[in-house]
This record gives sequence, structure tokens and C-alpha cells, in this order.
Amino acid sequence: MTTMRLLKDIDEPGLATREVYERLGGYAAMRRAVTEMEPDEVLSQISESDVRGRGGAGFAMGKKAGFIPKGDMDKYLVCNADESEPGAFKDRVLIQRNPHLLVEGCIIGARAIGANKAFIYIRGEYELQGDILEAAVAEAYAAGYLGRDILDQGFDLDLVVHRGAGAYICGEETGLLDSLEGKRGNPRLKPPFPANAGLYQGPTLINNVETLCNVPLVIGMGVEEYRKVGSEQSKGTKVVSVSGNVQRPGNYEVALGTTIREIVYDLAGGPLEGREIKCFFPGGSSAPVLTGDEGLDLAYDFETMAQAGSMLGSGSIIVVDDAQPLVPLALRLAQFYRHESCGKCTPCREGTNWTVKMLERVDSGEATPMDLELLQQVQTNIEGNCLCVLGDAMAMPIGSMLVKFRSEFEEHAERARMRNDAALVEQPAVELAAAAQVGPA
Amino acid sequence: MPRPTPNFVTFEIDGRDVTAPEGSMLVDGAKYGDVEIPVFCYEPKLGQPVGACRMCLVEIEGIPKLQTACSTPVRDGMVVITGSQRVKQAQNAIVEFLLVNHPLDCPVCDKGGECPLQDIAYGWGAGRSRFIEPKRHFEKPLELSPLIAIDRERCILCFRCVRFSQEISEDYQLTFLERADSTYVGTHHGHPYVAPFSGNIVDLCPVGALTSSAYRFRARPWDIENAGSICTICPSQCNVTFSVRDDMKVLRVFARDNAEVDDGWLCDRGRYGFQAIHSPERITRPKVKEGGTLREVSWDSALAAAAEGLRKAGAGTAALAGGETSNEEGFLLQRLMREGLGSPHVDSRASGPIEREHARALARPELAAMVSDIDHAGAVVVVDSELQDESPILDLRVRKAIRRLGVKVIVVGGRPGALDPPADAIVRTIPGGAEAALGGLAAALGEVEPADGAPADRRAPRDSSQTPVGGLDERQHGEPARQGESVEGGIDDLSRRAGTSAESVRNAAAILRAAGPVVVLWGERLSHGARGGAGVNALLALARALGIPETEGAGLIEVPAGTNARGLREVGCLPGLGPGLADAPSAGRAATEMASALGDELSALILLGADPLRTHPDRAAWTRALDAAGFVVAFSDFPTEALTEHADVILPLESYAEREGTITHPDGRLQRLRQAIGHPGDVRPVWSVLAELSARLGVPGAEGFLTSPMVSRALFDAVPFYAGLTLEEIGGKGKRWQERSAAAAAPAAPELPAPGDLDAPPEPLEPENGDLRLGTARSLWSGRETEHSPILRFLAPGQRVELSAEDGVRLGVASGDEVTVARNGSSVRGVAALRDGLPPASVYLYEGTAEGNATELLNGEATTVRVHKAAAE
Repeated sequence: MTTMRLLKDIDEPGLATREVYERLGGYAAMRRAVTEMEPDEVLSQISESDVRGRGGAGFAMGKKAGFIPKGDMDKYLVCNADESEPGAFKDRVLIQRNPHLLVEGCIIGARAIGANKAFIYIRGEYELQGDILEAAVAEAYAAGYLGRDILDQGFDLDLVVHRGAGAYICGEETGLLDSLEGKRGNPRLKPPFPANAGLYQGPTLINNVETLCNVPLVIGMGVEEYRKVGSEQSKGTKVVSVSGNVQRPGNYEVALGTTIREIVYDLAGGPLEGREIKCFFPGGSSAPVLTGDEGLDLAYDFETMAQAGSMLGSGSIIVVDDAQPLVPLALRLAQFYRHESCGKCTPCREGTNWTVKMLERVDSGEATPMDLELLQQVQTNIEGNCLCVLGDAMAMPIGSMLVKFRSEFEEHAERARMRNDAALVEQPAVELAAAAQVGPA
Repeated sequence: MPRPTPNFVTFEIDGRDVTAPEGSMLVDGAKYGDVEIPVFCYEPKLGQPVGACRMCLVEIEGIPKLQTACSTPVRDGMVVITGSQRVKQAQNAIVEFLLVNHPLDCPVCDKGGECPLQDIAYGWGAGRSRFIEPKRHFEKPLELSPLIAIDRERCILCFRCVRFSQEISEDYQLTFLERADSTYVGTHHGHPYVAPFSGNIVDLCPVGALTSSAYRFRARPWDIENAGSICTICPSQCNVTFSVRDDMKVLRVFARDNAEVDDGWLCDRGRYGFQAIHSPERITRPKVKEGGTLREVSWDSALAAAAEGLRKAGAGTAALAGGETSNEEGFLLQRLMREGLGSPHVDSRASGPIEREHARALARPELAAMVSDIDHAGAVVVVDSELQDESPILDLRVRKAIRRLGVKVIVVGGRPGALDPPADAIVRTIPGGAEAALGGLAAALGEVEPADGAPADRRAPRDSSQTPVGGLDERQHGEPARQGESVEGGIDDLSRRAGTSAESVRNAAAILRAAGPVVVLWGERLSHGARGGAGVNALLALARALGIPETEGAGLIEVPAGTNARGLREVGCLPGLGPGLADAPSAGRAATEMASALGDELSALILLGADPLRTHPDRAAWTRALDAAGFVVAFSDFPTEALTEHADVILPLESYAEREGTITHPDGRLQRLRQAIGHPGDVRPVWSVLAELSARLGVPGAEGFLTSPMVSRALFDAVPFYAGLTLEEIGGKGKRWQERSAAAAAPAAPELPAPGDLDAPPEPLEPENGDLRLGTARSLWSGRETEHSPILRFLAPGQRVELSAEDGVRLGVASGDEVTVARNGSSVRGVAALRDGLPPASVYLYEGTAEGNATELLNGEATTVRVHKAAAE
């Protein structure tokens, strides 16, 4: 069921130290990439492996790295460790337990594109993980794997761990770059893309933690071996964070293409006794929901999720069972995105705020079915019109819930309205009279 | 970056083929096909698009998502749709989103009626609002600064003001605070946003969030008429629009975009200084001194008194033309003097004579750069001038050149300035050291081998791919600078005399040598005083070493003390030069010489908008001169010390909103002043007063001047290189005379000097007994506009005594201490300010302040002064 690659040794005591990591074969891939391979060769191996970005968009890493121009200019590798998506906690375990794998991935990635400066932007809340990562980076420096003239090959690389200050938007790659430059973390207009003008306007490759963790595997086991696991267009394994209404939430590493039913039921234990899965978010809280019926037997890979009208995203499955009312869930979600919107572009800034206010009314019984129609239209008006994907990240799941569970929203609003009416009737007549007199005296 | 020649591409928009310049953004390209795409955040003047408002979404064939037209360059064969249902829905959506938190208080909003949000909501919105929730609330209105009110509820967060502060004026004061729908514009720690250019954000704001405190609730757009003219407060000569109510009152001033002059920006002095026009203190009726007191009289008796007094003095009359005098007024003044009174003593400069050859050389068309050459230069050299104070809009121009066009900037001068941080090299001299520094630069440019290790570009790689075109090597084919020649002792000696290091001079020369065309912005103070002629010589030698005459796009631009300095010189307001810089029949006295001759050979003085006690050096000498003058006729708008005590006849002066005529930009652009409001009280046009006075004094043909354009015509006829010019040709955007064929008639000037031809600059003054070398500067905020505009009054500067930290410690003076600066019995008081980067043993004071004016201490020579902490009173 599970295919262990990234999490293979995850329970090994002391894996976070270089000693244990190297004992288990760590840094061998880095040695090969630096001493035996030309940067172009490293890059072509990454390309041939078809390793796709594990941060959300699923863009092929080799292709993205291939956009980095050749030449002597200052180039940068940035690792996005700002894992802030509700439902995602895979990077946390990778950093906490196996930080050297990420460091090794960064070294190989930097080697591939000719970067001499690398940054790991880790979310500020990952305090422990940041400490562990810093210790690992220090060990790598001490061992000569970072710094000047690495392994006597004339290759220089500095790796800096930078801690974020608590903004979801800084996980958006250009917002991350602005934040890293010391500015307000707002997404930039693209183009220019970071590959051409990224950090400090230099060519920049930005990859997720898990993506970079796959790089040593590609170099270590070879492209052919790496590609043996996975589906047609999604190679390798995926660490899936399963959460929500399941019996055993947690991180599970599976081959891409495994069915969701296997992941949710066999690995995570399925919903509690007597409950059914109403719907689930296949790729974190930004992914459109799939109902249990339509989604559970699909293969969990990038292409199948896209065909089903959702996305694999960061690979975080949030399960919602039939005991869970959807309106408070949608409201909580919208509140999150409103709180995290940077405020730069109009549809996201105003749309998230408007959505929250409408959902509050739906929840409290002050809405009519017409409001649900408006709510739906507002989601449509946000989608595709924003500067970055944050607006869509709210509009898509909430839009999908409204389409797939419209009747539940209508019933929720109606029940809340009737509850309000009833409360009004039960009020003592005296109070009502007093209230009436507050008006025109 | 060389001036780009646009290529054109053809694309399709809404079914029509449109040809537009390559690289222009779709929003601009669409205009070539008469298609308007609505925008809020897009403003090309502010630099790269940000794509924040999302108003300009359009459909582009082949791209699945809608694209922002503000950030998509037009491409050949591109197919764009702006009218599809999909685009309409997106536009409706964005308007609806923008109005979600907008209060829609249009009936009480200053912007109502001229509001882009209103226009776009009507034009591209769905015409309804479905938002029924509570809107966000802020306390309102708040003072963003004493000049600007901010209403955060109206703000649509378009980024324009923040981008202006961060990318144009680079004061970095405005920023966004908070996030999501709680985002708001503010300053760090809520400090007031006070900066030289802050008012531009009012023009930029597409809603009523930022309003001018001077204009709030004064009028609605239908109450006002807009009239275009020129701001004559400083030599930048920005093109402005006056908003006029009831034909009599200017209510606001805003920019009238002219890319060749101002790029559409204004400084706050220009934007708010109009209030002085309506000051109750303004002189609006003629006055004559009778029995020791000034009395208001009729024009007829005032003119009779003036004519009588002047006739009596005859050739013993001297005249000073102030910097804001128009070409026509200057022309009439010099005719009145030369032809009516037979006196050659007319001057428009404050600080000593300028040699005829120098005046002619500086007017040569091949040495002149135009303002937009700054954008496309390889390098800009700023000499002895703080642009932000003396010609503020050029400061923004240079910043733009550095930031967006990769132009190198070299600052030469003694006082640390606002352009130091972005400059590529700084040649820091002692006060008055610019002459030697320029000579050194000229000599260093002539050195055969480039200096070792040409300095690395300190800025981030900013399009390093561009190779300068027309570099020095190429252009020296014409007339190579005499290489290797230099004054005795060479660059090392010149640098020592400048009080700077030879290394910094060589470093600057290396940058200049590698750059393309060079534009030199030089402060008039280089030509002041006893060493003024030598200063101009050094400047001309630098121009020669840079190959300026042979290089397209290279040239000099003066930063004069007076607004119309160039025009006044060209129409004949110099003691030795008549109209067209031709030799005058007889040479007269320059301003400084008038001061000593008044009461002796000279007995009468005409002050045309000039106040020698405020702006001319050696205040003591001028006080004496005014005392000694038998008869003083003064054209003035405000009562000053010089007037109330010394004037015999006071004639009211027009404000710039009342004037008609022409003035000339330092780059040679003649610009039209158009009357925007009627004259208050008994004020008459100055040209007509001068014409009538001339007629009374027998100037031939003077009574024939019935209108201002008739004077303009006579003036254009009198100046050979203006020949054939008409007011229509000058039009709304001005006309550089150098670009007309008549420019060939510009008087010839001798060959430019080589470094070897220069006199050795004097040894640096060695201060004794802890004295300090005196340098002066001007503040943007000194002057009558600041003092008489209620809204600007808080900015009027007191005297500020700038010292190096080292001298501060030695003298026991800290920033903020009251100090006395003394020389030869004269002294002024001021507040000390210790500044980093100021050369030791130097002190800088402001000229032209109301109190503690540094002119008290100046006499045209290099001077040392003594600074000590003032005794507590």
C-alpha cells in the first residue's frame, strides 16, 4: 500500500543528524552530482525523471529549472517551506525528521541551475523545525557540503534559513520573494517570471520542500528506477497529509496513482464508525471538493484530479463526513482566506470579505436562497480574475460546495431562520413592547 | 539609454486592425484604435505596472485566462477582444468589488464630477450594487499632512500614492499597513507625510481619498474653469493648470503634463504657493512717498512721479530685474533704460558680472541639452546645486533616469545632497571648490589611459546589456580634446585645490569616459563672485573634454537662481549685452557694482520684482546703497523691508496667474504665460506700465504697445535667434529656439578652453583660529510663496547652520543648538545641524531666508566665518 522513499527511514533515531543520515546513504547523491556530473547532466536527469512540483501547481521541476538562463549572473535557489495551507503538514515532518534530505536536495538543485545562493523560507510558526533545519545547515557547512569550494570542485553555495512572519501569502512564490527581500509580502505581477527576474531581480528557481527532497532520490537511484513508481504523468511517490474526519489522520507516503479509497480507508482508517464520507478536499483547503461517490475510487495523481475538476495541490486530503455541517466549514474556510488575503488586488480583497459576510448571514439565518445565488456569482467573479491564486483558492472550494451541496446550504439557512423566528415568538410580550417603544417615542 | 526610435506593430482589437508602438502596453496601444480600456492602478509615469486593480482585464486569443491590458505589451498579430460577454462580466465584477467598501458619498466628495471611479462605474459597471453588508469604517477625514487630507473609506487601494512615494520621489514615507480588506495607506508610526513632492498624490488619486487641504470644499468641478499657464516660482518652469473660480480666484494648481519640462509632476511649493496670490498683504495699488510716508495714489500720479524722478536721474539710473520678470518685461525694461534714460546699468543677475563671451558661449545651441536628454543620457553630472531645493522637478527627472533608465549620476559640490545616495560617484569639495573640481575632471578626461579599475556599478544590475551609443571615443573624432594637457601640478593639484581627492576625480572621469552622452546640470553659483568667470571657464573646459558640442543628446543645463534667468539674458538684461546678446552701445554696471556706485555716480534705482536685501549678496552694501539712492521705483507684490524704508514709488506687481507673456526655460524653451485670473485691485499688467513709463520718458514707439502680444512681436524681432517666432508656435508646450532655423543667428563664441588654458584656481582658503569656510545653499521653502501662503507657512525655514560632526564636537555645538555665525562684524543666528558627509572646516547656510539670511555674510569672495554657540537670552 505505502511506498516508502522519502519517509523510508523517518523513524530512525537521530536521522536529523548528519552522522545518521550519512550512515543510511545520505549525501551520496550530492557527492555524485557535484563530483561526477556536470550541471547540465544533473538538470537533464531531473527533467527526465519528470518529478513534478509538490507545492500545489504540479509543474514539472525540470522544465521550470530549464527556464533559468545560462550564464554567470547571480542566480538563486529558493526552497518554499512556508507550508501554511490548511490540511498540509507533510513538509513539517520532512524538515523535522529528515532535514539533511532537504539540504542535500538544495545543494543538488543549486548545482543543476548554477546558483550560488540558496534560501529556505520557512514559516515562522515552524519554530522547532526551523531550529532543526538551522542545525542541519550548520552541520552541512561544517562538513564542507556548503560554503566555498564544495568537495574541492570549485562550487560555492551559501544556504540561508529565513523565517517568515506569519503570512499565508508568503507561500505564493512571488510574495515569498518580496518578503525575502525585506518588503511587504505581496505577490508580483507575472511576467516576468521568477526564472527570469526573481529574487533581487536575478534568475530564481523556487521549489517546494518535498520537490527538492525528491531530487536526491532521482540522482541516487537513477532516473529509470525513480520512474518505476507512479502513474502515467505523475512519477514517484507523494507524501499525503490526511486529516479531517478519519480515524488515523497523518502523513502517508504512497505511489502516485494509488486510489483515494486506499489512502483514506486502508491507511487512514476511514471515517468514524457509522459515518459516511460526504466529501473531501483532495489537495488541501484550496482544492474544489469532491463528493465521496465521485472521488473515492479515483487514482490519486495530478492528471486524474485535474480531470475530476479538482487538483492534487499540495497532496493534503481533508475528509468531511456526513455529521459535519458544511456551512460553518465554508465560513471558517472563507474567514481564513479573508484573513490571509494580502489586499493587493481587488477581487480577492473585496471578494473574500464579501463572501465571509454573506456566509455569516447564511449561518445565522439572515439569508435567503437568493443570497446563495449571489454567493455563487461572487465566487465566479473572483475566479480567474485575481493577481495570484489566493482568491481562487477560496472561490474554488466554496464554489464547488455551493454547486454540489446547494440543498444543504438552503436547508441550513432556512433552519437558522426558523430558529430565529421561534426565538422571537418566545420572547415575553413585555420585552417586545419595551423594544417597540425604543423607536419613535 | 539612447532615445528610442519606436517600431510599430499591428494587432487586432475588437475586429479592427490597429498599429501601435512596439512595447507599449495594451491599454496604451488600444488608444491608437480609439478603444478605451478602463484602469485605476495603471499609470506609466509610476514605473512598471502592478496589475492590482484588475480593471483592465481583456480577452486575448490563445490565452485561456483574461489578461490585464496594463501589463501585456502589444505584439504583432495579437488578437484582443475588449467587448465580449466574458470581459464585460469581469469589468462589472471589478467595479462591483471596488464599490463594496466605497462609501459612495459622491455628493459631498471633492472628487465628484471629476472622479475616475465615478466615470468607470458609470461606463463599465453593471449599474447596481448587490452588497448589503456593513462597509468598513475609518475615522475620517484625517490629516495625512497639513497639506493633504486622507479619507480611507474612499480609498480603493490602487497603489498609486504608495508607488509615487517609493518609486518617484523616493521619500519612502507612504506604505500599506494591515492586510486584506483591512489594508490602508499610511506612514510609518503615523508621522505626517511632509516631503517636497507630496501633493502629487492628490493628482494621482483616482478617488476622493486624498484631497488637498487647500481645495477641500472650495468648489465643485462645475464651479471652476481651468486655465493653463506656467509656474514661475522656480526655474523648473513646470506647466500648470490653474483652477479658477469666478474669473478672480485661483483655487488650486495642478500639473499640466509636459514630458519635455516636468513629466507631469509638481513640487508642493508650486502646488500650494498660489495662495500667496490672494494674500491680504499683497500690494494692489500704486503708492508714492510723500513727506516720508507711502500713500496710495492713482496710477497717473504714480507714473508721473516715477517718470519725473527717473528723468531727473537720467543716465544715473540703475535697474535690477528679478528672476520672475518675463521676457517682454525685461525687454521693455532694458529699452526704457538704454533708450529712455541713456543708462546702460541694467542687470538680471544678483552676484556680479558675467563676461560677454561667457554669456554667449553658454547660449550656444550646441552646448544646450534639453530636459528630456536627461532620460537618455549616459551620465548626468550635477554641479554645485541641490536640485531638490533649486529646481525640484529636475531632481525627480534625475531620479527617474537613475532608477528606470540606468543613467549614471555624478555629484560635484561641497554640500551633501538628496542625490548623494543614488549617485554613482561623488566629488565632495570644499565650498567654492567646484571650479577646481571641474578643471580636474576636464583634465582627467583628457588623460590617455583610463584610470585603473573603472569603478564597479554599485547598484543592482540594471539592464547592463545596453551599450552606450556615441561614447567619447567615437565623438572625439570631430575635435579631440588636447590630451595630456593640464595646468601645472595636474589633477592632483587641482583636486587639492578643490579640497577633494584625485582618486574621486579620476573615478568620476572614468565613469564619464565609459558613459554615453553627458548632461551637466550646473548651479548658477559656479558663476558667482570674484571667481565666477573662472568657474564658467572650467565648466566650458569640461564641456569640451566631454565632447559636448559634437554629441547628440549631450549638453549643459543651468540651474539658475532666477526663474527666467536665461530669457532675461537673451532679451538684453545684462549690463554689457543688449537683446540677442549683442554688444550694448555702452557697458554698464553689474548688480554688485551698482551697490557701490549708488549715491555716488548712480542716483536712482528701478527694482522690477527684485529685492536686493533678500536675494543679493552683501546685504550691508545694499542697505547702504538703498539708503544712498536718491530715488527708488519698485515693482513689487509684497511690502518688504527694502520697499517700506527705501522706495519712493511702489508699483504693484502682477502675480504669475495674472501675467501674460513668455519666459524661457534654462534649456532654451520659450513658454507662454497665459492670464488665468483678473487683476485684483488696481493692479495693471507690468508690460503696460513699463510701456507707459517708457512713453513718458520718450522711448520711441513705446506708446504703440497696446497688447502684450505686440510686445512679444517686438521682442522676437529684436532677438535675431528668436526671429519669426510667434506665440502660436510656442503654443501650450513651448518651443526651444535652438530647434528653429533662426538659431543659426545665435552669436558666435570663442573656442572652448582646454584644461591647459585654465587659470590655476586659488589655493584653498585655510581657516584660522577654528574658523570655517562659508558655503551657501537655498531652501525650497524660502521665499514669499511660502511666507504668504497660509498652508505652507509652517514650512518657512529659519536659518540652519550645517556643520560636520567633527566641527560640531570641536566647537561644542550639537544639532538643534542656537548658534551665531559671524564675519567682520556682521553676524546671523541660526540653528545648528550636524550633517554626515559635510567636509570638515566648512559651514553651510541658507541664502534668502526671512531671518538670518546668509547674504549678510557674503561679499563675492571666498570667506571664512566664526561659529559659536549663541549665548542664552
